[in-house]
Amino acid sequence: MKRTVSLLFIAALAALLLYVVANMPPMGDPANPTATHVIPRYLENAEEETHTENVITGIILNYRGYDTMGEVTVIFCALAAVLAVLGRERRGAIEGFVDRSEVVSSTIVRTMVRFMVPFILLFSLYTIFHGESSPGGGFQGGAIIGGSMIVFTTIFGLAESSRRVPQRIRAALEGAAVMGFFLVGALGLLGGGEFLTYAWPKVAPGLQPSLVVWLTILVEVGIGLGGAMVLTSILFAMIREEEIATAS
Amino acid sequence: MRLLHNYHYVAAMVLFCIGLYTVIVRRNIVKKLIGLNIMETSVFFFFISLGYLDGGMAPIRVGKADPSRMVNPLPQALILTGIVVAVSVTALALSLVILLYRQYGTLDVDRLMREEEQSETAEREERG
Repeated sequence: MKRTVSLLFIAALAALLLYVVANMPPMGDPANPTATHVIPRYLENAEEETHTENVITGIILNYRGYDTMGEVTVIFCALAAVLAVLGRERRGAIEGFVDRSEVVSSTIVRTMVRFMVPFILLFSLYTIFHGESSPGGGFQGGAIIGGSMIVFTTIFGLAESSRRVPQRIRAALEGAAVMGFFLVGALGLLGGGEFLTYAWPKVAPGLQPSLVVWLTILVEVGIGLGGAMVLTSILFAMIREEEIATAS
Repeated sequence: MRLLHNYHYVAAMVLFCIGLYTVIVRRNIVKKLIGLNIMETSVFFFFISLGYLDGGMAPIRVGKADPSRMVNPLPQALILTGIVVAVSVTALALSLVILLYRQYGTLDVDRLMREEEQSETAEREERG
């Protein structure tokens, strides 16, 4: 009964959505309203105004910098909420956990993971540092670091993994993204601009392009490190919970 | 035929309906969360395809790239924000699910509701 009603509801919704889609302008047409209004301005002026070749990075970090700052705060709040719900693993007590997984990972898997993780980290560094001139950026690089941590923790267990990335380092770096944004914003104020502008009109007019690039990279590194540490801490909090459950 | 040409949009709508169906009908909370993630993904897909341009290229100004032939960078920037928020929501929801499972020992929504009602009636009887 419930299933029939929900199926009917979803069918009605699908019909409505399809009706709307059928009346939308054809996809990929250069004359679409989505392609004719704000976008040409961004595409034309992004390189001169933001000094980043990648227009997307220019939009994220410069045109819509406040938006991204709020987003960084969102992921930080998510970590805070997860830790408030699950609790952080205690320092020192982590060595007491043994790997309780029933399937012991084979030597091949362990060797491969040990071999792969440094290269994944290298690729994530490339993604972070090259984000202003090629596809990539802080969030992507941070997610790649988080992915490598997930692979490593799955194979080698929480104790080994948290020995490699100790809690004091994570606790210090979790706020790196928010801190980076505020730092760069304050630096913009010091340089005679407004908050979160990368331009320093009064102090260093000659240095302008390279200064903007370096401040952008600083924000990218902050976002990358902060995002990676947030993902790692969420992962550790969840795995710790599972180990408590299997222990009791 | 407009619908055939806009098949990206149609696919996004189908994905959205699949996700909504999963959220409504499935009784397992983790499956509901997966449905929520499918819905989010469909919205991202829809948004990204809104910025597509026939024969367009990545919006990176290298060399003599022509800005008028670049795809729309704005949806991609917005969806990056959306993905991060989706990850945050999923992490928080999963941690709440872990707590629920520890408390009640089940992920079934119907059984959770029943246990909740039982504990409420037990409380009322204790008081009355």
